[in-house]
Amino acid sequence: MPTATPVATVVPPTPAAPARGYPDLVVARGGEPEELVRRALAALGGMERFVKRGDDVIVKPNICNAYHTYEYASTTNPWVVGALVRLALEAGARRVRVMDYPFGGSPEEAYVRSGIQEQVKAAGGQMEIMSGLRFIKTKIPQAQSLRECEIYEDVLKADVVINVSIAKHHNLARLTLGMKNLMGVIRDRPALHSNLGQRLADLTGRIRPALTVVDAVRILVANGPTGGNLDDVKKLDTVIVSPDIVAADAYAATLFGLQPNDLAYVRAGTAAGLGRSDLQHLTIEELTVGA
Amino acid sequence: MAPRTDHATARARRRWTRLRQAVQYLALIAFVALFLGARRGGWPADVVNLPMRLDPLAMLAHLLASRTWLAGSALALLTIGLTIALGRAWCGWLCPLGTALDILSPRRRRGPRAAPADAWRAVKYGLLLAILIAALFANLTLLIFDPLTILYRTLSVSIWPALDQVVTGAEVALYRLAPLRPALSALDGWLRPKVFPFEPVFYRYAPLYAGLFIGLVLLNWAAPRFWCRYLCPLGGLLGLLSKGAIVRRETGAGCKECQACARVCPMDAIRPEQGYASDPGECTMCLECLAACPANAVRFPAHLSLARWSPYDPNRRQALVALGAALAGIGLFRSDAAARRDHPHLIRPPGARENDLLAKCIRCAACSRACPTGAIQPAWTEAGLEGFWTPVLVPRLGYCDYSCNACGQVCPVQAIPPLSLAAKRERVIGQAYINQNRCLPWAERRDCIVCEEMCPVPNKAIQLEKVEVRNGDGELVTVQRPYVVRDRRIGCGICEYKCPVSGEAAIRVYVPGGGTL
Repeated sequence: MPTATPVATVVPPTPAAPARGYPDLVVARGGEPEELVRRALAALGGMERFVKRGDDVIVKPNICNAYHTYEYASTTNPWVVGALVRLALEAGARRVRVMDYPFGGSPEEAYVRSGIQEQVKAAGGQMEIMSGLRFIKTKIPQAQSLRECEIYEDVLKADVVINVSIAKHHNLARLTLGMKNLMGVIRDRPALHSNLGQRLADLTGRIRPALTVVDAVRILVANGPTGGNLDDVKKLDTVIVSPDIVAADAYAATLFGLQPNDLAYVRAGTAAGLGRSDLQHLTIEELTVGA
Repeated sequence: MAPRTDHATARARRRWTRLRQAVQYLALIAFVALFLGARRGGWPADVVNLPMRLDPLAMLAHLLASRTWLAGSALALLTIGLTIALGRAWCGWLCPLGTALDILSPRRRRGPRAAPADAWRAVKYGLLLAILIAALFANLTLLIFDPLTILYRTLSVSIWPALDQVVTGAEVALYRLAPLRPALSALDGWLRPKVFPFEPVFYRYAPLYAGLFIGLVLLNWAAPRFWCRYLCPLGGLLGLLSKGAIVRRETGAGCKECQACARVCPMDAIRPEQGYASDPGECTMCLECLAACPANAVRFPAHLSLARWSPYDPNRRQALVALGAALAGIGLFRSDAAARRDHPHLIRPPGARENDLLAKCIRCAACSRACPTGAIQPAWTEAGLEGFWTPVLVPRLGYCDYSCNACGQVCPVQAIPPLSLAAKRERVIGQAYINQNRCLPWAERRDCIVCEEMCPVPNKAIQLEKVEVRNGDGELVTVQRPYVVRDRRIGCGICEYKCPVSGEAAIRVYVPGGGTL
């Protein structure tokens, strides 16, 4: 896989690049969120593999609304996000910005309620409110369905995009995982709702995050993407990391008892060559953290 | 020797008018600053409510109509105390609408003034009496003419949104110039959401609110402070109190009857036939006369008596007319269709419906200002004429944010109750219905689910039913059709707001059903 993908790069049609001795995907289980992230990244070759000294890094969590705290598993775990910020800074990033564009409530409110603002600041990162000015009309030449959309300029220009989604239920996509999480960097969400799988693959092809982290510390198994009911939350204490966004999503699907191909965007992403979903052929390192 | 001293004392007297102007500008700036602070995550409610609570007309009318005492309304006693001490100094020194009208008045008056006859001054008293009598009958409709509600509402739902549009337009235009981008981004980040909402908000007939305000400004060309002289019901209330004001303006020995004071008086309150004294019910203590008097003859002695009644001051006949008009108005309002059945889309802010809103709301539109999505709009037709410009939610323009309870916090009279966020989330404000003729999975047999996805209720008030249908190409497909679960619905309207069907949404929020439904 390419690291620190330059934004203009046209997606290579071939799946994951040689792994250079690293696993394709790491799953860490059974510890505190921050430790899960650290250990998983270390097993993947360290954050230095993805973030070079002086890089401008954007971490994109899921902060979809301002309704609930992290225990409700509708937004990414704050310590998972904080750990990624800290690791990126330790790897020499010039700055690390964290942002999302909520569909309910205001960003300032959502940043606070999710708990993410507090952890990001503690880790030395910056929360950025995505200004309406900076969504620019972007062509996606290799797209099959979404040929043009307004994407947040900075996400296209950043040296490294780290995509960190929560794993949760969604009735149209079935699950919100890494690829679905990228919807947060565009404004015209309704445009994606028809032919969602293909359009998410098209969008992913344009953004190409260097690293995808699926936060399954808590997962929301019903009434997503908004949640609000602790009975719908399962605590799995699991974090999945991979440079291959399709592989990360494919693995995460199994946490919900689904097959990778049950998700239209995983199928479309595999077909578009954005990554691999043949889990049985991937090198997967599973590690257990803590007691 | 004389000229030097005269000039020196003239300068000294100018100091008073300069001081007054400084106080006026500060009060107006404070009013706008408190307006800006009245937002979610803004300043404390007791701080941003200060202007309305200093308004004795709004507070008295609210007290009479709602028969509830608000601790904060005691602040209005400060204004009453000020008036008993110094007459209508509120009007001349503090009222932000008065100051705005001063700023927006013609620089130079040309030719003889075509001011209306003095009898017009009675209008403000008539309006005042009608407001207070109607308030006794639990009606507050005429508070749309309270000067503070006029200014606050105009700022809320027309001036500020318009300013937002102008600023946003300029930002977008300038953003094309690459070198300006960092500065523009920084500016935009500072402006939102502190000064403007995160995304621009829109109000129905926004220009018309500005129209009322511009109308008041244009009246300045007929006579300075036309509004304050002839129309303002708060001015009327303070004018009546000023009849017993302790400090009153008079002229003393040395007056050469040159009429300089009468010429500069913006209220035209100086009576040559009464020795150039002014009617304390009309004088705003602006002190322009003090600065203009070449003989230094203007005095402000203390009195402990009632001032003379003027022909335009309220009399029994006028009180009877106001009583008759108020009663007729109330009878007519109560025979309006709106009193019989709610308009289908009369969706009130959380808790307001059950809270006797019509007898509490002072029509200031502070709730509109605080609503981050622009959902709360002054009603035009939904609440009947009686409820004109009371708050109504229009979900297609904005939704009631599940993480927000700002409207109840900023409402200066608790017409919208100050619910905790948890209590507000459970408050049912409306009932959503799906229009199967427009809803995509129903009408076009294709998937959508946006309303269900957006529904913030933990167990989802909108559920989906999977059905197999043939689509337009004859293929057998599974679609998910939404339906509403009545027991879970809250009426927040995000489903209607986000519904991707163009034009009228395929899911719409209506008034909540009664207990029997």
